[in-house]
Order: sequence, then C-alpha cells, then structure tokens
Amino acid sequence: MAPKDYLAEKEKCKKFLQEFYSEDDSGKKVFKYGAQLVALAHREQVALHVDLDDVAEEDPELVESVCENTKRYVGLFADSIQELLPEYREKEVVAKDSLDVYIEHRLMLEQRGRDPNDTRDPRNQYPAELMRRFEMYFKPPSTAKPKVVREVRADSIGKLVTVRGIVTRATEVKPMMAVATYTCDQCGAETYQPIQSPSFMPLIMCPSQECVTNKSGGRLYLQTRGSKFVKFQELKIQEHSDQVPVGNIPRSMTIYARGENTRITQPGDHVSVTGVFLPLLRTGFRQAVQGLLSETYLEAHCITLLNKTEDDELGVEELSEEELRQITEEDFYEKLAGSIAPEIFGHEDVKKALLLLLVGGVQQAPQGMKIRGNINICLMGDPGVAKSQLLSYIDRLAPRSQYTTGRGSSGVGLTAAVMRDPLTGEMTLEGGALVLADLGVCCIDEFDKMADADRTAIHEVMEQQTISIAKAGIMTSLNARCSILAAANPAYGRYNPRKSVEQNIQLPAALLSRFDLLWLIQDRPDADGDLRLAQHITYVHQHCRQPPTHFTPINMKLMRRYISLCQRRQPVVPESLADYITAAYVEMRKEARVSKDTTFTSARTLLSILRLSTALARLRLVDTVEKEDVNEAMRLMEMSKDSLQAEKSNATRNQRPADVIFSLVRELASEAGRGRAGAGGVVRLADAEQRCVSRGFTPAQFQAALDEYEELNVWQVNQARTRITFV
Amino acid sequence: MPTVHDWINSPLGVVEGIFAQYNSSPDWEQKVLDFFREKLKDQEAASWVPSLNDVPLHYLKTSSLVKFRCMVQDMFDPEFYVGVYETAGPSPESKVLKLGKYKDMTDCEVDLNSKHVVTMERQSFYCMPIPGESQWVKDGFACCNQARVLPSTSYVPQRHKRSHEEDDEMETQPHKQKEQLTGDHAATEAFGHGDTKRLETGSQSGHTAASGCPHPLELNFPLPGETGPACLVKVYEEWEKFKVNDVLEVYGILSVDPLLSVIAEEREGHFVDPMESLEEQRAHSPPASLVPRVHMLHAYRLQHNNPLLPPAASEVSSGFLGELASIRAELVGFLTHVLLGDSLAAEYLLLHLLSNVYARRDVLPLGKFTLNLSGCPPSSSYTEQLFGVLQQLVTCSHRVCMSLGNMNGLHFTPQKDYTANRLRSGMLQLTPNTLLVLDETQLQQGQLDAAGVRNITALGNLISWQKVDYDFSYHQMEFPCNINVLIASEGKSLLPSDCHMPLQPQLAPPNMEEYMGALQAALPPSLLNKFRIYLTALRHQEYSISEELTKMVEEDFVEMRKEDPQSISADDLHRTLVVARLLSLSAGQSTLSRDRWVRAKHLEARRTSRTPQRTINSNEP
Repeated sequence: MAPKDYLAEKEKCKKFLQEFYSEDDSGKKVFKYGAQLVALAHREQVALHVDLDDVAEEDPELVESVCENTKRYVGLFADSIQELLPEYREKEVVAKDSLDVYIEHRLMLEQRGRDPNDTRDPRNQYPAELMRRFEMYFKPPSTAKPKVVREVRADSIGKLVTVRGIVTRATEVKPMMAVATYTCDQCGAETYQPIQSPSFMPLIMCPSQECVTNKSGGRLYLQTRGSKFVKFQELKIQEHSDQVPVGNIPRSMTIYARGENTRITQPGDHVSVTGVFLPLLRTGFRQAVQGLLSETYLEAHCITLLNKTEDDELGVEELSEEELRQITEEDFYEKLAGSIAPEIFGHEDVKKALLLLLVGGVQQAPQGMKIRGNINICLMGDPGVAKSQLLSYIDRLAPRSQYTTGRGSSGVGLTAAVMRDPLTGEMTLEGGALVLADLGVCCIDEFDKMADADRTAIHEVMEQQTISIAKAGIMTSLNARCSILAAANPAYGRYNPRKSVEQNIQLPAALLSRFDLLWLIQDRPDADGDLRLAQHITYVHQHCRQPPTHFTPINMKLMRRYISLCQRRQPVVPESLADYITAAYVEMRKEARVSKDTTFTSARTLLSILRLSTALARLRLVDTVEKEDVNEAMRLMEMSKDSLQAEKSNATRNQRPADVIFSLVRELASEAGRGRAGAGGVVRLADAEQRCVSRGFTPAQFQAALDEYEELNVWQVNQARTRITFV
Repeated sequence: MPTVHDWINSPLGVVEGIFAQYNSSPDWEQKVLDFFREKLKDQEAASWVPSLNDVPLHYLKTSSLVKFRCMVQDMFDPEFYVGVYETAGPSPESKVLKLGKYKDMTDCEVDLNSKHVVTMERQSFYCMPIPGESQWVKDGFACCNQARVLPSTSYVPQRHKRSHEEDDEMETQPHKQKEQLTGDHAATEAFGHGDTKRLETGSQSGHTAASGCPHPLELNFPLPGETGPACLVKVYEEWEKFKVNDVLEVYGILSVDPLLSVIAEEREGHFVDPMESLEEQRAHSPPASLVPRVHMLHAYRLQHNNPLLPPAASEVSSGFLGELASIRAELVGFLTHVLLGDSLAAEYLLLHLLSNVYARRDVLPLGKFTLNLSGCPPSSSYTEQLFGVLQQLVTCSHRVCMSLGNMNGLHFTPQKDYTANRLRSGMLQLTPNTLLVLDETQLQQGQLDAAGVRNITALGNLISWQKVDYDFSYHQMEFPCNINVLIASEGKSLLPSDCHMPLQPQLAPPNMEEYMGALQAALPPSLLNKFRIYLTALRHQEYSISEELTKMVEEDFVEMRKEDPQSISADDLHRTLVVARLLSLSAGQSTLSRDRWVRAKHLEARRTSRTPQRTINSNEP
C-alpha cells in the first residue's frame, strides 16, 4: 500500500472545516464549523468537536481513515484549524492569561526578528502544541456501536473506539505539562520540549547554537509561566454487570481525560467514552525491563453520561418485524405472562398481574395533581409457595430494580439517609432502595416482618411517589416513582380465610389499600392441579429443564425490550368508556357492601382499574383503552379478591341478602320485644325496611326477602303491609 | 543433549525450536500447544512435572515446566505484550526475530519500531491452592508425584539453605540463569532496595505457616489460615473458557525472575503513577518470590481433586462397583457411630455428602441438599470433632463457627477493592463441592451489626439459591456456586435448609475427643480410602428417571395429596425426588427404581416424624 499523502489529507480536513454547512429551516446555509472557528479565534470556545457524521456526509473515506488512525488525524485537524484561525479572526482579542501574553510576545518577536537568511534552529522553533489554545476532539459516527470493555483487543490499538461502563475511580484534576519551556542561564535562549508521556526527562544542557559553539555549558531552567499545562484526569471504568459473561470478573480500563473532558464524571456514573486506544509509552529503565509489556489507555475524545435506563441496550434498537410477530401472536398476553418465571408452575393470574406491573399504567397529572401510574402488588401466601422466586425473577427481569427484604431494611435504608461526608464534613443525601428504584420496581420480601415505623416511610412513596426529607437542615423531596412488589407471610404461619386481610398479615389498612392488587397464593389441594404440579416437578428432575409447554417462553432480553416498547405508549381512556367504568365501579361498591368484604373497595380501587386497563392497552401497543381492557382489569381485580375469599365461600354458607335481611328483622323484633313486654314478635314494616336500607340493602331486596320468608311461613305480613308478625 | 526431560527442564527451548522451525508462520502457536498437549496426555509423563503445590518454590528453576492445582480467584485486566520482536542491533544482520510469548522479560534490547513486532494479548489469572483442601488430598497428590519427581528435580542444585537466606539466592540466581542481565547495574542496585522487603516476606515463600502474622502482602486467601503459593497464571489461549472459582490443573512455564519484583520496587521508589496506587501495584505485580508467574501451556478443569481417582470421575473400575454395597454399609455404619448411634441421621448425612448441584433452571438450582443437623450436643466440642471426621472423608471442607464475633467480623462475600483493583476474597469464595460446616451451636445472644446481617443474608442466599453475590460496590454480581452446606445447631437453625434432621443420640460418650479418636483409629486406612473414592466417584454419576416411574411418582403425589393435603407440598416432592436421586446414586444405580422411591418416601416419613408438628397447625383455630 502506498504511503498516504498526509499533506493531501490535511487539505481535505481544511476543506471540510471551511466548507461544511447544513441548511437550516429557511434554507440558509449554516457553516457549523466556520462559526465555531470564529469563536475559537476569539477565545470564546475552547473545544471543537468534529462530528464524524458530518465528515461522512462530505467524505466517507476520510471517516474511515480517522477511525483507523485517529491520533494522526487529530494532529492533521488541529494543524488545519491552527492555520485557519487567523483568517477567522474578526476582532482584536484581549489576552486572557499570561500564556496568551507570552504567545503574542513570541509571535511578535518572531516577526520582528525575522531575517530571511536566518534559518531558525529547529529546536528553538515554537512547537505547535505551545501556540495552540484550543482543543480538538472527534465525535464518533452514530453508526459506530459501543463496545464492551472486554471486546477492546489488541487490534483496536490506535483506533477510535467507544466503550461503555461505570466509572470506578477518578483522580483529582491536575495540571499536566504539555510543553515544557526552558531558558538558558548563559545565553537566554528558549528551548521547548513537547511532552507526550506521563513522565519526562528534563533537559539540562542548552542546545542553542551559541552555547554549543562556545561550550559555555549553559544550564536550562524550567519556566513554569511559559510552559503549557493542560487539565488532566485519569478515570477507570469497569464493565457493567450485564456485559460480563457468567463466572467472569468485570474488566476495567484506564481513561485519560484532558482539557474540557475532565470533571465530567464521578465514580459511580455510567458513561460512554469515545477515544483512541493507545499503548502507554514508558521511558527509561522501566521500558528496558518491561520491554515485553505495554500498558494501554483510552485517550478520551468524548465522554457522555448515561442514565442507567438508557444504558441498558434495550430500546436502542427497534424490535425487528420477526420479533414483533413472535410476540404479538394471538395469545400474546398469556404467552408473555407465562414467560415470567416459567419455572414456577401455575399462578397464571398472578403472573399476568406481574406483567402489568412491569409495564405500568399511565401516570396522570391533571392540574398539577399527580396520579401515579405505577402498579403496586402485594403477594401473600403460605410459606413455600414460590413468592420469593417470583420476586427474584421480577428483580432480574425489570431493567431497573431493587430487591430488599423487610427484615433487612430500615426506613432509612428504603428512603434516604443524610450522611456526613467524611472528607469534607458536608451533609449529603444518600438514596435508599426506593430512590434507587426510581422508574423501576422495588421488590420487598418479608414485608410483614418490617418494623411499623419503617413501614410508614413507604406510605408516601406508594401514593405520592416521592420521598420527603427533612433532616439535618436538608429539606427536599426525592422522586421515587417505583412500583412496589411486596411479599408477605400470613401472621399465623398459614392464611386464615376467616379473618380479615389486616388480621392475617397484620398490616394497617392504610397500607394495604395502597396496593392495587393483593394476591393470596395458597397451597390448595386439588387432584387435577396436583397432578400437573407433580408432572412439572418430576419432569424438571428427570430432564433438568423446563417441560415443553404449548409455547416457548420468550427470553428475558426480548421481554425487556418489548416492555420498554410498551412503556412508550400513553393510552387514554375514551369518553365512551367512562360511563361503563363508573357503572362497574358503583356495582363493585355495592357488592362490597353486601358481601361484607374483607378487602377494601374505595376510590383507590377505581384508580387501580384505570391503571390496570391502561397497562393492558399499553401491552397491546394501542393508544386507547378498550372495553376488553377494562373487563380484564376487573377480572384480575375480582380474581385477586377471590383468592382472598375463595375458601370462605366453601367453608361458611354463602349468606344471601335475604338471609341477612331476615336476621336483621329478627334482631329488630327481639329488641322491640324487650321494650314492650309480652308483645314480642311484631315489627313495623317501615322500621324494618329503614333498618335494612341503612345497612345497604335496596328496597327491592327487602321486598324479595319479605316475600320469600312469608312463603316459608316464618313470618306473616298483615294485609295493609305495615306489620310483620313472627310465627 | 536432548533427553526425555528436555521439555520439562527447558520448555522455552522447545517453544523456540518450534518457532524457528515454522519460520514464524502463524501456525507455530498451535504446534506448540499440540506438542505439550501430546506430551502431557500420558499420565505417567504428566506426573514427572514438578508441582507447585508440593515442591517448595525455591527448589524450582525458573523457566522450567511446572504444574499447579489451583482455583482461579481473580481475573486481572488483559495485558498487551510484544509477541514477536526483533532484537535491536547495530547492523541489520544482527537483528534476530525473537519470541516474546511465555516470557516476562527480554534478555536483550528490543527494537520496538521494527515492523516485525507483533502485539498480542494475554490474560492473567490470580490463582491459589484450592481453599479448604484436606490434608490427605495434599499428601495424596504429593506422594503420587514425589516418586517420579525426585529424579527429574535432581538437576536442581540441592542447596539446602533456608529461605531467609534469600539475599544469597538472589545473587546466584540471575548469575546462573540469566547471565546477560548481571551487567545491568540498575538491577543490582534495586536488589539492594528490595532486601528489606524480601526479608519480611521471605518466611512465606518457604512454606512455613505464615497465616496469622500480618504481612505486607496480602495473598488474599478466602479462608483464614491457608498457606501455599498463590500464583499469577498468564493465559494465552482460550481464556474465555475459564471462570472464576474453577479448579484447574495448569501446566506452564515457571517464571520467578527477581527482576519482576524490581519493577515493583522501582515504581514505588521513583515513579508514582497517578492512577496506580501502591496497593494496586502490590496486588498486580507482587514479588515473584512470593507470587510466581506461570505461563500457561496447557490446562484443564478438574472435576474433583481426589488423588485416589483418575481425573475423570465417571470411570470407576468395575471391581469397585462390585464392592459398592458393602462400602456403603460400612460407611453408614461408620457415620452412625460418628453421629452417636443415630442411623437415620447417618443415612441422611451420607446423602448430603453425595449431593451436587447438577443443573440449574433459571434461578432454581437442582440437586442441592442442605442438611440441618439439630440437637447437637452444645457444650462439648462435638461439632468440631464431627468436622474433623468429615474432613477425613471429603476433599475440600471448611468449618465456620457462627459465633457473634465471627458473623460480625468475617468477610463472607468477596468484594471488589477498587484501590488495589482486585477482588478481595471472602469466605464463601469456594470451589464446587466444598463441604461448608456451619456451627450454629456457637451462636450466642447478641447484636448483629450491619456486616453480620449481610453475612447472614449471604449464607441464606447460598443455601436457597446456591449463589453468592459478589460486591462490586456499584452493583452486585451473582456468581453461581455449588457448596454443600451442613448446619449443626441445637434447635432448628435460623438459616433455611432443605432438610431438617433432628439428631437423636443413642449414646453419650463422656469424652467426645477420645470417642472420636478411637473411632477413627479403628478405621483401617484401606477402608478409609474406599470411602473417599466412594464419595467422590458416586457424586458425579449419571442419573435419570424413566417415563414409567415418572408416572408412578406423579400418581403417588396426587394420591397423597388427596389423603391429606397438609402432608406433602410441592417442596416436599422436590425434596423427596432429590432424596430418591441420592439414594439411587449411593447404591450405584443410575436410574430410579420403584423400590428406591418407596425407600425415599419411607426415609422422609421417618425423618418428618421426628420433627415436631408444624407450628402452623397448632395455630389453627
């Protein structure tokens, strides 16, 4: 391959900088780099980022060469800029610091003392780095995919690479010498030494013509004011945990950040760094003994902070047609739900609810009032019904999640703590699990084991989705927009269906009502289910893998991506459905009153239904909620209630309204009997009706009961229908 | 003079020979690997290679072939090195292509600007002897080797000097082996600097127990009181294949060049890298006399570390299979004595010792069988004695006293130390199939602090999911493991367990120590060895359940549920299936039979009859 003509390449760079333009809305040409060059010339801008996407528009080949041999092109671009700058200077620049004055002075000297015969000693020439007061960086082409640290291999040396990771260490920002300037104590000549590596050997003897010929042995002294320093920071990044193959230790990489790239990150940040992967040059003795080894670093060009949610590669690429088809098959809802914890047998409805929790409902904020969209679910159940497994699966599936146990966490651990920084003595806020799970899921196992005082910290989170802190002079409110998935064991080891939910779990009603869905997972014998369960377990032991089901579970990654796709939708409830929902709600309220519900049907229930239906609509990737969504939401509601009460209906006789009315009337009769001795057994019908209506029965129900018991000959109603007489 | 042992004494010569022969065409690398793989195929030949595990480091010559039985504790970042280089010389003729692979340093000037320079990448693993390895295993391996190793190590000048005379040794070593370097005055100067440090650490290289005393260099063993050489293994090929906590047998070229330490010294002295803290340098380039480098030529994962068995455990001699029944009976009998006459507990202990996580389904590990022996005599040193006996039987084991001080003070989970840039080992960083005995009888009342709670959680996770969450401070990383946990407690343990076995001692020997001592003394060594083979070999046998039996089990389950739904739950079925599996394995059968299933059920029934009725039922109104 013929050596590249770098002069020609440089011309290309120059041309690009001068001529690149884009057209704005009105069709006017905007010289993107031209404008920046002016700013550079006026010292109003320090860093110039050359976007390789722009370069690609002009000259795709150049981009390729830049990516392959970045260090060289940095130099070429910088030189071009340096040469172009005087052309772009529009006004006189005021010197900003001593180095500016120095440079100006030198330029003047050079011009004044220019003698055509006098060829300057190359060593005394001003190095380009010294005169340069700007920084030049490349912005990676958007087509370049970020790499994992462990994929950066020896073949990437010298190339422009983009890596992602978490910053584990960052040094202080220190000045680093870029060009050392010396003056000679004998002849006064200046000598410059550009420095590339982290250490350098200072020059001692004056190399100028005068000193050398005179053998005067001039000593050089370093001039700090005349030397050029750049800000310098070393970072260490480490692979993110999901990029590490199982059973491996995360790798790390050293990054050198200079100039404007310093002070961007702190330890713990997720970053994407683009830079040139370079070997570190060692000098002196070390190089001799360590000749075979070279350390490497990444010379940063572009550091961007990432949110953790963005950082997870999900959503970065759109789902392909194929994948979408795979998901949105006919029974996709069952399929998606079934793919949650496929190793746990059964519990289809619980899994559906968990799926909706992952997707989440739409958050509403009418006039500043915030109504949460996150769905909170509490799983209760006898020990050993795989609650914890479900939790741990959700913890793994959710892109952002925190897993804690009630026993192991205090209120402070969940919300936020005020800490005193050991170094500076400043007060800082440290987020707890709920804050860290913002926009994600917080799984709390053994919810019931938590101390009451700690549990109250969750109340605010569950409805307002914020955490207010008023501690040690810090008053603030942190976002904690997380869904809470709690698991609780019944208070007496086993769930007692005869008792109310609060009694069973010993959680206050205020907290329980904040859960959209309460599931009781019970271990109930039933021959058919048992057989399937047994088959499942034996299969697992026999073949060490999942039994074949009617579908293959969707893998986690795809699930995550699909869920993040769903979350982009903001479905609304159409006007036409409002009546339907209100009617349904009123019906539920009624039923709850009648059946002496052990759970709560309150305004919160209505909101829950709305949340669940919007989540369902999201799942179907549509923008409006449909009637089926509402129906399914209510069905889930109903199933969750049933799970709490199912056994009750078997155990105790189902109390029909008529029976209740009968007992009410009899109660009234005995009261009346005590009041007027001897005249027992007679009740005024109006009184009875009033009593019943006050207990939540409709007059129609009362009439029905009246007729029914009259037929049974338990009581008699007189002709005028004013009195009930017990037989 | 080419002899058989040439490839052991100077493997680098062989490598260079092959390199020259193939004239630096790229397939020389493969040829080198093939050569050594071929040589080492022979069990006989492999045992000629001296082992770092039992030959003291100062008896081994640098750049000779050694082997090392070890666990991968940490993986460092990859290193870039010059794979092929040209020597720098005044004239073009004197330039020679040389090889940089399998070496730490060059012995001549390198022309880094030559176009023949090839940069390559290698990975370094921080390896250490298998934690908790029983003494009998060490001895066993040592004597397998010794017999044949002695002649081959006879080339080593038998200078029986103590390791604290390191000064002297260091003077002679470079003279002897690296003549070219002696002229380097800087190097010798640096030796002078290094002396003090060397003296401090010298005692350790000499295999004398250096466990308790605080030393400047943390060798990072997971278990307290461990000794043995830690080693930096440089891996050139297929490093993706290896994982943390794998047990490997590494064959490679030893490099203990003192110059390696010089670099570290020099760094400390003159040049302080802003990034590389002192700790990091110490962790990543410790003195070679303490942490030798091994350049890997060949390695394979060990399925077990039992010296009495061939590497592949599944090939058991047929003669042994014939004896199985009698060995099993003997072993149960022995364990019954150990468990003070409780034969049911002995049966379960045997099953526990055979258990092995054989598969994982998502989060659920299959085959784990954590045993909780409750009702252990609290006052006497019973659990300690029990552990002593078990140590004789299994290859790797460790006992943790769950005293408050230990729970609050010990590091259970490994933690990434970002200042030293390495993984600080924790007690739960153990190799597969290690027996971990948790002694809960030592637990007193008191306050657990934050670390204690974390430790308990880690133990709980280990037992329930067979995983340990390593702490990377910014996030946790889950490492699957396979550790047999045996909990000895007075009452039911506070930790979860798969199987709770209340001990019912039939006898109460007045002096526990004497009793156990007598028991062990009565055991003939040949039988003890059979026990050891039995436990290791059967653990890795194949096992399957036939369709027919699956049906039967299913029906059985449904039947039982019908009769009394409280009697059996899904968990119970899981457990019974595991018990049935282990029972079958313990009898050397690879499939489940009807009898075994019935026996397993019977065993379970006997066991549950011992546990007090579930508290749940008593609470029912």
